[in-house]
Amino acid sequence: MNTRDQRICLGLVPVFGALFLIGFTICPGLFPPLSPTMTAEQVAAFYRDHVGQIRASMILFNLIGIGFIPFFMVIVVQMMRMGNPSRAFAYSYLAAAVSGGTLFALADLAWLNAVARPDRDPQLTLLLNDLAWFSFTTPVGFIITQNLCLALAIYMDALPEPVFPRWVGHFNVVSALLMVPGAFALLYKTGPFAWDGALSYWLRITTYTLYVAVMFFVVRTAIHRQVAREGRVLAEAASA
Amino acid sequence: MSESVWAGRAGTPRSAGAEARLARNPKLDQWICYWSIPFFYTLFGLIFVLFGRIMPPPSPTASIEDVLEYMQAPKLGVGMALLSLTLGLASLSSGVIVVQMKRMEGISPVLPYAYLTALAVAGVPGCLFPGFVFALGNFRPEYSAQIQQMLYDLGFLSFVGSLGCFVIQYLVFAIAIFLDRRMIFPKWLGYLTIWALVTELVAIPIWITRTGPFAWDGLLSFYLGTVLFVGWEFCMCVCLYRAIKNQPVEELIGRAAAHGE
Repeated sequence: MNTRDQRICLGLVPVFGALFLIGFTICPGLFPPLSPTMTAEQVAAFYRDHVGQIRASMILFNLIGIGFIPFFMVIVVQMMRMGNPSRAFAYSYLAAAVSGGTLFALADLAWLNAVARPDRDPQLTLLLNDLAWFSFTTPVGFIITQNLCLALAIYMDALPEPVFPRWVGHFNVVSALLMVPGAFALLYKTGPFAWDGALSYWLRITTYTLYVAVMFFVVRTAIHRQVAREGRVLAEAASA
Repeated sequence: MSESVWAGRAGTPRSAGAEARLARNPKLDQWICYWSIPFFYTLFGLIFVLFGRIMPPPSPTASIEDVLEYMQAPKLGVGMALLSLTLGLASLSSGVIVVQMKRMEGISPVLPYAYLTALAVAGVPGCLFPGFVFALGNFRPEYSAQIQQMLYDLGFLSFVGSLGCFVIQYLVFAIAIFLDRRMIFPKWLGYLTIWALVTELVAIPIWITRTGPFAWDGLLSFYLGTVLFVGWEFCMCVCLYRAIKNQPVEELIGRAAAHGE
């Protein structure tokens, strides 16, 4: 099997990763995050004062928002190679990745709309700001499901040479657990669970960044091994 | 015979544990996905009935005071946070249903893939988005009464009124059952699925009327729809259980062995 498509999708990860970092650094109010305790007037004033930068970074996010989908699909393809009795976890992973991607797109639309009309009633700008932060922070259930499906598939991989080593399963479980607090940003305006808090923001963003970086190298190794293994099979078939 | 295939490939120590587990329970992955369904729906009940009081829904004609009181209930926010955390579990049920649909004879993977993607789409407009909308009202009591009322409407209308994604899910599932020559699922489940589809159509008028049997809290749009959905989900669980149970182990081994050598 040709793995060129998988390698191209994998190569997009550092490209989109770098663009994400650029977006993050140029977007005011995202890094560090806006506080949920700001009043409607403060939020409206913030968006009014930073229209250009927010617009630029959010248009960038609009374009690259679901840029990791090709990467997640490479993981799906690798899951389908595993020695699992069925592809149930691979399909579940695919469905969860699709649902999760939608939410970031929604957050971006709310942010862009918040700066689209700076003289809007501050209450409405606050509403758009809240919707954006909720959609950006709290739908951790999807990535958690992805990670747990991948972990289970790895634990059940009965191939003599498993697609991913076992520690990748543990790594996925730990990453899933570290993202759990994000869901509770729906409840708190202050403290570690708030959308700008130590757990819901800093821990979640750090975990996600590290997760993508580590999985990039893990998947790269898996593809290399797939190439080597299939080359061996071909060579054996040719010599037989 | 079947077990020896697993055992025979237990070559390296790394995969030996996985081999042994699968030899004992060759459908373990499907059963994990399967049992997520009753677990998810129990949670779903807790979230929507007990925490959110979203089901049964309050009236579309509630006074503004009632709306504000409803939106400020502390448990509503807790319910929506739990929803955010666990909605992903719904993907596991799609995963195993697709595995069973792909065993059908006389259909291509088109219908199972359509089923998977229709449901992956449906989760957001039909469940998580309304969840966010309720959570927004709950999070900010300082929103104006007008905004709170809009969130109340938007929440219930999206929750009860996201029709199309589920129509497609039911439609492709029913077509697959009718075309399947292998009877993975019984034909009567196909007919029941058509009835489940009809309940989505019966909910159309919630977008037009605010009172009577076709309102979002109405006898037909909400209660009949919910009863039929619960009935369908229950029958689906029974049929899916049988489908997994009756799947010959050789089929599984064949898949794994083809990729294992």
